[in-house]
Amino acid sequence: MKALEISGITFSYNPLADKSVAGDFEYALRDFSMSVDCGQIHALLGPNGAGKTTLMRLITGQLRGYGGDINIYGHKNEDKEALIAIGYAPQPVSLFTALTAMENLRIFGVMAGLSDERLKERSTEVLEETGLLSYAKKRTATYSGGMLRRLNLAVALLHSPRLLLLDEPTVGVDPQSRHHIYETLKKMNAAGMAIVLCTHIMDEAQRLCSRVTLLDKGAVIYSGDMNKIDNLEKFFLERTGRGLRDE
Amino acid sequence: MIFKKLKELIRKEILVLARDRQTIPILFIMPVALILFLSLALQGVYVDKISGRKILLVLENASHTPKAVLLEKKISTSKLIQRIERPAGFDNDKLFEYGKAQAAIFIPEGFDDGAKPLQIQFDPVLDAGYKAAARALITSLTAELVMGIDDIEALTSNFIIEKTKKNRDLPGPLQQSVPGWSIFAMFFIAIPMSIGFLREKNDGTLQRIFTYPVNVHLIILGKLIPYYLINLIQFALMIIVGIYIMPYITNLPFALGEHPWHLIPITVVVAAASTGFGVMVASLARSPEQASALAVTGAILMGASGGIMVPHVVMPLMMKKLAMISPMYWAHQAYLDVFLRDAAFSFILPKLAVLTLFALLCFYIAGRKVKWM
Repeated sequence: MKALEISGITFSYNPLADKSVAGDFEYALRDFSMSVDCGQIHALLGPNGAGKTTLMRLITGQLRGYGGDINIYGHKNEDKEALIAIGYAPQPVSLFTALTAMENLRIFGVMAGLSDERLKERSTEVLEETGLLSYAKKRTATYSGGMLRRLNLAVALLHSPRLLLLDEPTVGVDPQSRHHIYETLKKMNAAGMAIVLCTHIMDEAQRLCSRVTLLDKGAVIYSGDMNKIDNLEKFFLERTGRGLRDE
Repeated sequence: MIFKKLKELIRKEILVLARDRQTIPILFIMPVALILFLSLALQGVYVDKISGRKILLVLENASHTPKAVLLEKKISTSKLIQRIERPAGFDNDKLFEYGKAQAAIFIPEGFDDGAKPLQIQFDPVLDAGYKAAARALITSLTAELVMGIDDIEALTSNFIIEKTKKNRDLPGPLQQSVPGWSIFAMFFIAIPMSIGFLREKNDGTLQRIFTYPVNVHLIILGKLIPYYLINLIQFALMIIVGIYIMPYITNLPFALGEHPWHLIPITVVVAAASTGFGVMVASLARSPEQASALAVTGAILMGASGGIMVPHVVMPLMMKKLAMISPMYWAHQAYLDVFLRDAAFSFILPKLAVLTLFALLCFYIAGRKVKWM
């Protein structure tokens, strides 16, 4: 069974767009397919506006009204079993800044259905894993950028998901925090967690991931093993072009 | 698990609200301050309109004939007049300018043989009703004197019977202010409510909640219930302040009326209308700044037109009719039915129906316009 299986996804932000006719720029994703094996770290790469965040939001059930199928460990992505299997760290740090780290973990933990006992235990574990245990009772408004990113990840790890979706998890953090985040991911992966990593940091993607899917203008332009690529950044630029993507 | 999730969503909302330094002053301290200051300010309007006040009068008599002395005595003992002495160095203009007196009467020498008339001068800003009453008083007292009648009022008492009913329209200052500013503050809930919603939408926390197996209706309830409860607490607190604190500070009376239990269904419906307004603002605004401006402007317009800031009963007829478009008018009148009119519940019910319709309309618009993502 695949951790994540996406087949023939077509999606447009324009609700009037005809989903059966792929093509044109109206579509954020066009006939997009990819799969992630259990225990795999899969890089999802693409220039700005390629459709990576849209894809993440479709997988996590935030966006609906798409054509195609998304399955997580054999369940349709909108099913409870699928949602519970996913841990998602979105690109913007999505935390309640008026609350402490512990309070943030509590609200998301309860939403994930954790019992009080399990919640307490896991909160301590993930805060320890992300190096935030001593700041557990401080309001997140006082956190540095790196700490917020680590807590963003801690929330995603809290309910011990089997598939972790990370949308640029290290953007804007210092090398120390970045190193800490990647060490945590390696540890989680070693314990059997499948990971989809969206990033613009090519050397890290190459170092961490065994598979890569390259996405541009809503469509897959490459999918294969990472070890077949010598220089990921060069490969990326060859496939997606060197022109600026400001639109 | 559903109730646990709902409880946690409510707990989160309350924690976020309680830690927002602007929310508590806006929702609780502002209405108390408004009740205090505007009750005192309204005291003058209330006294002028209902119980009336005495005209401060400087009376000078240069004629010492028996008739002039009798007129001076009759004017001085009138219920409408409070006679004061002219302060040294104050001419009439200065008397009025400094508010020492509102009228001045001079009885000249030669008054009783008709050679020189009595002179009256009023403060130019004195209410026209008071001027007319003072003029009528002096005329009748002069007539008594000229016609040799002892008491013209007693003489005409058999021809005039006053049948004025007890006032049931003009509220006392606290009767006006306590429910009025409570309603105003309840509608101000739209500010933290819409800002909170849009902030969560903009920072992605709302979307993140949606990535968990949580029903959208549960999320909506988790957002509505805390604000609805705060509305109920706001009103209860304002009533407590109105009963136990304001009368001691302002020396003004405040009573709940004969049917205080009617306040419960009214408050339940008013809270639904105000949270509905908040939800609508949240769904229409694109940013927290826009939401704040929309909520404040909306609440002030509803308050100004709905008889919260100026008592509805003193508005001109056109404004009285226009007030009916404001939900605050219906809410305020429903409360005044309890405080002022001792009305039966069937009398209040149509006002609650209007408020319920307003709440449903707000929720409907919000349902059509809201963008969760």
